[in-house]
Amino acid sequence: MQLPPLLDAKFTELLGRYPVKRSALIPMMLYAQDQFGFLSDELLEDIAKRVGLNLIEVTETLAYYSMLRRKPEGRYHIQVCTNISCMLRGGNELFQHVQKRLGIGNKEVSPNGTFSLEEVECIGACTGAPAIQVNYDYHENLDPSKIDTIFEQLEQGKRPKPVSVISGAIHERHPAEVPVISRRFGIPDSNKVDVYLQHDGYQALDKALKQMTPDQITDEVKKSNLRGRGGAGFPAGMKWSFVPKETGGKPKYIIANGDESEPGTSKDRPLMEMDPHQLIEGMVITGRAVGAERGYIYIRGEYRYIIDIVEAAIVEAYAKGYLGKNIVGSGFNFDLVAHTGAGAYECGEESALMESLEGKRGYPRIRPPFPAVVGLYGCPTVINNVETLSSVPAVILRGGEWYAGLGTPKNGGTRLYAVSGHVNRPGIYELPMGFNMKRMIEEVAGGVPGGKKIKAVVPGGSSCPLLTGDEIDIAMDFDSVAKAGSMLGSGGTVVLDEDTCMVDFARRIMHFYAHESCGWCIPCREGTAWLRQLLDRFHDGGGRASDIPLIDELSKNMLGRTFCPLGDAAAMPTISIVKKWRNEFEDHLRGDCPYKPADVIAEVR
Amino acid sequence: MPEQKQITFTLNDRKVTTPAGTLVIEAAKRQGIEVPSFCYYPGLSLQAACRMCLVEVEKAPKLQTACTLVAVEGMVVKTDTAQVHKARKDMIEFLLSNHPLDCPVCDKGGECELQDMTFRYGLDHSRFTEEKLHYPEEQWSPLVYYDAPRCILCFRCVRVCDEGMDVKALGVGARGVHSVILPNEKGALACEECGMCIDICPVGALTSGTYRYQTRPWEMTYVPEPCTHCSNGCKTTLSVRTNEIMRANNRDHSGINDEFLCGKGRFGYDFTHNPERVRQPLVRRNGKLEPASWEDALEEVSRRFKQVRDTHGPAAIGVIGSNHTTNEENYLLNRFARATLGTGNIDHHRTADYTGLAAALGPRAKDSLATMADVYASNATLLIANDVTQQNPLVAWQIRTAIRHRKAWLYVINGRPSKIHRKALHLAEVARGVEPQAVRWLASGEGDFDDNTRAALSALKAGLEKESDVVIVFGADISGAALRDLVSFGSKLPGHTRFMALGDYANSRGAADMGVLPDRLPGYAPLADATERARFSKLWGSEIPSAPGMTAREMMEAAAAGKLKALYVVGANPLKTFGVAQPDRLAGLELLVVQDMFLTETALRADVVLPAASTYEKDGTLTNTAGEVQMTHRSIDPQGPRSDFDLIRILSHQLGMLGVGAPIRLRTPEAAFDEIRQNVHGYDLPVAGLLAGGAELSTATCQAVEPSYETPGGVVFSSNDFLFSSGTLGRYCSKLKSTNEAKDTPWSSSPSIQSWWSR
Repeated sequence: MQLPPLLDAKFTELLGRYPVKRSALIPMMLYAQDQFGFLSDELLEDIAKRVGLNLIEVTETLAYYSMLRRKPEGRYHIQVCTNISCMLRGGNELFQHVQKRLGIGNKEVSPNGTFSLEEVECIGACTGAPAIQVNYDYHENLDPSKIDTIFEQLEQGKRPKPVSVISGAIHERHPAEVPVISRRFGIPDSNKVDVYLQHDGYQALDKALKQMTPDQITDEVKKSNLRGRGGAGFPAGMKWSFVPKETGGKPKYIIANGDESEPGTSKDRPLMEMDPHQLIEGMVITGRAVGAERGYIYIRGEYRYIIDIVEAAIVEAYAKGYLGKNIVGSGFNFDLVAHTGAGAYECGEESALMESLEGKRGYPRIRPPFPAVVGLYGCPTVINNVETLSSVPAVILRGGEWYAGLGTPKNGGTRLYAVSGHVNRPGIYELPMGFNMKRMIEEVAGGVPGGKKIKAVVPGGSSCPLLTGDEIDIAMDFDSVAKAGSMLGSGGTVVLDEDTCMVDFARRIMHFYAHESCGWCIPCREGTAWLRQLLDRFHDGGGRASDIPLIDELSKNMLGRTFCPLGDAAAMPTISIVKKWRNEFEDHLRGDCPYKPADVIAEVR
Repeated sequence: MPEQKQITFTLNDRKVTTPAGTLVIEAAKRQGIEVPSFCYYPGLSLQAACRMCLVEVEKAPKLQTACTLVAVEGMVVKTDTAQVHKARKDMIEFLLSNHPLDCPVCDKGGECELQDMTFRYGLDHSRFTEEKLHYPEEQWSPLVYYDAPRCILCFRCVRVCDEGMDVKALGVGARGVHSVILPNEKGALACEECGMCIDICPVGALTSGTYRYQTRPWEMTYVPEPCTHCSNGCKTTLSVRTNEIMRANNRDHSGINDEFLCGKGRFGYDFTHNPERVRQPLVRRNGKLEPASWEDALEEVSRRFKQVRDTHGPAAIGVIGSNHTTNEENYLLNRFARATLGTGNIDHHRTADYTGLAAALGPRAKDSLATMADVYASNATLLIANDVTQQNPLVAWQIRTAIRHRKAWLYVINGRPSKIHRKALHLAEVARGVEPQAVRWLASGEGDFDDNTRAALSALKAGLEKESDVVIVFGADISGAALRDLVSFGSKLPGHTRFMALGDYANSRGAADMGVLPDRLPGYAPLADATERARFSKLWGSEIPSAPGMTAREMMEAAAAGKLKALYVVGANPLKTFGVAQPDRLAGLELLVVQDMFLTETALRADVVLPAASTYEKDGTLTNTAGEVQMTHRSIDPQGPRSDFDLIRILSHQLGMLGVGAPIRLRTPEAAFDEIRQNVHGYDLPVAGLLAGGAELSTATCQAVEPSYETPGGVVFSSNDFLFSSGTLGRYCSKLKSTNEAKDTPWSSSPSIQSWWSR
C-alpha cells in the first residue's frame, strides 16, 4: 500500500536499526497506528511484507500489546488511570466523571468520533495522580473541573498543554535529600547535551574510557554496592561480571529497562525526561565494562514523548562523539537505539523485554540460561534498570567507595523514591539508601492529608507485601525492608490513610495483575483472573466467609509456582492484605463496603 | 559414536543413572514414574507453561519444572511429596476454573488428558463459583474447529505447526486469561490441513470436522493400518463403529511415521462410504452397464477371457495392475496373468524407477536402501526432482525433523518449487526436467549449465563430499540412465550413501517388487533368466511365456490399434493415467474388465466392472516406497465389493474349470504371503514384527548388478498428486476435497497455492 512518505521513511529507518528486521515490528505498528488511528488489515499486510513475516506472526504480536488496536479510536483517546496511586487520589471518581462528561463508557467511542475512553493501568504518573493521557499527552493532578477545561479545549480543537515533566520531580529539596542522579532535575534544558556538559556531563565516560580498564570499571561498580533499581536489588557489578569475556564472535548488548510499569512507580520517567544523557553515559560505560558495543533503551510505549527526548539526546551524543565510533578518542565504539514498547507490564521482566525487543509477544523465557550468557538475539546481554544505569556515571566519577558510603552496608548510594497516595507532597525524592521510611513519608513527603493515620504503605511498587502503619519505622534498603517482611522493590512508595478500604485496594491490585498476566502459565493466568472476579464479588457485597481463606490460598497457590515473578507479584500483596487486614474482609461480609470514602467522593465532585 | 557421559541422581530415593543432559521428566518416565504435564511434548521446544510437572529438588527454594530441569550428578529430586501433590491439585483447580467441563458432549471425553489428570491428581470438587469465560466455537476450515473455552493453552498445536510442519498457521492471540489460539488467515486456516494440531491437542479444543459430535471413543474399535494414499506408508489408526470408519488419526505413534500424519492419512478415509462407490458387479448389456449378480459377472469374465484367448492367443490379452492393491494381490495378479492366462503383457503405472534402482544396486541394496528412519537418522539428505512436502509428506517430515533435532543438512536439486527448499543448505534450482542433466553432471562432469547453476551444483557437490552419510531421495524424473548416473555418483561419495526412490502410491513399490512388470518376475527376477522362469513356472504350475510383454502404455496403444483384444485392469485407470482421452482408443478391444472401487474413466468403458474392496477392507501387506512392509487389516466389511485377492482367485478357478491354466489354491492373503516369503527375493521377512503392527524392511532387488539395464523412457512418471489429491481415491475423499486448499489447482500450475505455502 501507498504510505505517507514520512512514515515510509520511518519504516525504512526502523528496519535498518536492528540486526533482526523483526525487532522493528512493534515500533512500526505503533508509529503506523499514530498516523492512521488504528492498524487496518491492509496496513498489517504491508508491515508483514516489509518485516518479512507471515500475517499470523504480526497478528500474534499485535494481539499481545494493549496499545495496539485494529479498530479506530476517537481523535482524542482519553486514558484514565485508576491504578492504586491514582485511585487513592480520586482516579475512580475522575473516571466516572469523564464517562458522564463524554457520554461514553469504557472502551467506547463518541458518536462523532472525537473522543474515546479507556480505563488504563498505571501510566507512570503516580506522583501526579490522578492523571490521564490524551493520546500521548500527560495531564496530572486532575479534578473534575480541571478535566472539564481540558475537554473544552479539545472540543475547540485546541491542544491542552500537557505536563512537560512528571509532577513532583522538581521541588524544593528537602535537607535530607542527597541529589546524585537527580541533581540536574529542574535545571532548564537539562536534557540537552550542552547543559549536561556544564554539569559534569560525560566526565565519567572520559575517565572510564581513558583511565580505566573494563575490569576496573566493573570493580568500581562492585565496590559501590550499587544494586538493581528495577526492584530485585541484584548487585549490578556482579551481574556484569557474569558476561563471558569470550563469545566466539557473538556481539554483546546493553539494555536499559525503561518499561517502568509497576503501579506506584514513576522514577525512571524523570530520569529520562530531564537527564537522558546521564543514562546514555551510564550505558556506554557499562558497554565498555563488559565489552558490548551496542545498546537499546526499551521505553514503555505510553512514554512516547520521552522516546522523542531520548532519541534527540542520542542524536546529540553521536554528534558530540559520545556515541558511535572511537568514543572520546579511546577506540571504543558504542551504538545506541531507543526502542518503544506498546503496552505490556510483563515486558518489564527482563527476558520478556528481550522477546518484545525481538518483535515478539512479551513472554518471559526459560532460565537458565540467563541474559548475561544468552540474552538479546541469543547473545550475552546486560540488562539493567534505567535508574541503575543512570547511577553509573556518578559511581565512576566519584568512586565506588564514595557512592557506597552514601548508603548502608551492602546497599550503596541513593535512590529515587516516588512517594504517592495519601501524602501532602507526592513527589520523587532522592534519599540515601537506608533512609527511614516513616520519616520519608511524614517529613519529606509532608505526611498524610488531614492529619489522618497511616493505615498501610506499599514500600516499592504494587507487588510488594504491604506494611501497616506500625511497621514503617524501618530503614529503606533492600535488606531492612526484606527483614520487615516486604521488599524495597522499585522504590515506588504508596501511602494509604486510615480511611482506605483494603479490600478495594486488594481488588484493584488484582485487576492490574489479571490485566497484565501474559497468559503463558496456568497459575498466573487463571489465578489472577479468578482472584479478580472473586475480589470484585467480595468487595461488592457478595462475599462469603469461606472466600477469605480462599483468597489467601489461591494467592499462595500461585506463589512460587508461576513461570515468572508476575504471579508472585500478584500474590504477595494479596496475602499480606488478607493477613494484616482480615478484619476488613470480615466487615465486608455484612454487606456493602464499610469503607466508602464518602468525604473523598464529595470533595472530588 | 563416543560413549555418552552418564550421571547419577536420586529420584524418589532411587539412584538413577542417565545420560548427561537428560531432562528429569524423561528420566522419570524411563523409571516408570509419571510426572504429569500438558505443555511438555518430546521433540518440541520447551515451554514450562503448564506447571504440572513441578517437583521438589533438594536445596531449591521453590518447586522446579521437571520438563526444563536437566538432571545433574548428585541432584536429589522428589516427585511424590505432599507439596508436589498439592501443587498438581492446585494447577488442575486453576485449569478447570474457566474450563467449561462440558465433557458429556466433548469429542475428547474418554480420551482427554485433562480428564485423566483431573481423575488422577485433581480435586473432587470445585471452589470456583464465579462466571466462566466463554467464547463461541470457531470453524477454521471444513476440517478444523476450535473451542477456546476448552483450550488449556499448552501451545502444543502452535509448536507442532511451526516447528514440526514448518507451516506456522497457528499463533496466540490476546493476553492473560483471554489468550486464544489464532489461525493464520483472518479467522480461517490456510495451511496443509494436516490436522496434526488436532492430534496433539490434549483436550477437546481442536476438533476434527470429520469426527466431531459423531460418536464416543469407547464405542469404537481401533484398527492400525498403513495409509492407503501416498507411498510413504504412515500408520493411521482407524476408529471404527458399526462397520463405518469414524475417523483416522495417529495417537499411538507406533508407526514408522512416529507422531506424523498428513491430511490424507487423517481425513482421506471417507471414500469407503462414498455414494458413488460401486457395490455391485456391472455387466454391459445392450451398450449399457447394468447391475448383475456376482455369478453372472464372473462367469461372463471367464467365459470371454477364454474366448479371446482361444481366438487370438494369450498374447492378445493384457493385464494392468495397481499401485495400491496389496502385495498378495499383485503377486496373484502376476501369477494369474503369466500362469493362468499365459500372457506376458503385464505392467502397471510406474511412479518411480524401482526396477532401475534394483538393477543398479544389485546385491548392494541390502545396505544401500534407505528407510524412513534412515532419513531422520542421516546427517545429510540429497533431494532430487520431487516436491516432498506435497508428494511425500513423511519424507519431508523426516528431513525437517532431522534438521530440527539433529542439525542434519538438506541438499536439493529441483526443477519444481517446494516449501522444503527454505530448509536447504545447498539448493540448486534448475528448469523443470533438467534434473537428470544435473545428476549427469554430478556423476561425470558432463553437461552445460549457466554459471549460477554450475556454482550451485559445485557447492552442493563439495558439501556432499564432506558428509559422513547421505540419503538420496529422488522422484520419478530420475529414472533410466539418470538413475544409473545417480547411483554412480552416490557410490563415489566417501560416506555411507543410501537411496530411496519416491513413488506415488501406497503400494507403488510393492507392485514392482511383486513383478507386475513385463520383463520381470517377482523380486525383480529377470524374465530372460531361464532358471528364474523355470522356478516360477514350477511354483505356479504352468509354463511362463518367455517373451517380454508390452508395457502399460504399449498395451494402451495396442488396444487402440486393435492388436490387443482383451484387457484386465485391476485397481488402475489407464485411460486417465496414460492420457488417452478419446474413448475410441479402446475400441479395438473385445473385452475390457475393470476391477475398481469407482466408475473411473476406464471402468465406464468396461464390459464388466467388478467392485473391489479398498485396502482398509482387506487383509494383506503393503510395501512403502522405502521397501518397508506393513500389514493391512480388514477394518470394515466392504459391503458388496470383494477384495481383488478373492476376485483373481475366483477367476483362476473359473478359468481352470474352462480348461485355462491351473486354479490358484492360495486361499488367504496370509497363505499368499507365505509363498511370497519363500519365493520372492528380499521378502523373507519375519512375520512376528508384522503381526505386532510393525514394519519390516524388504530388499527385493536384483541378484546381480545389471550394468546395462535401463528402464525405457516414458514408462516411469509421476501423477504429481499433491497434499489434496490421491489418484482415483482422492477424487472420492469428500472431506479432503472440501478444503479451500484442495479446490486450488495443484502446486505445479497454481500461483495461489504458492502464495500460502511460501512466506
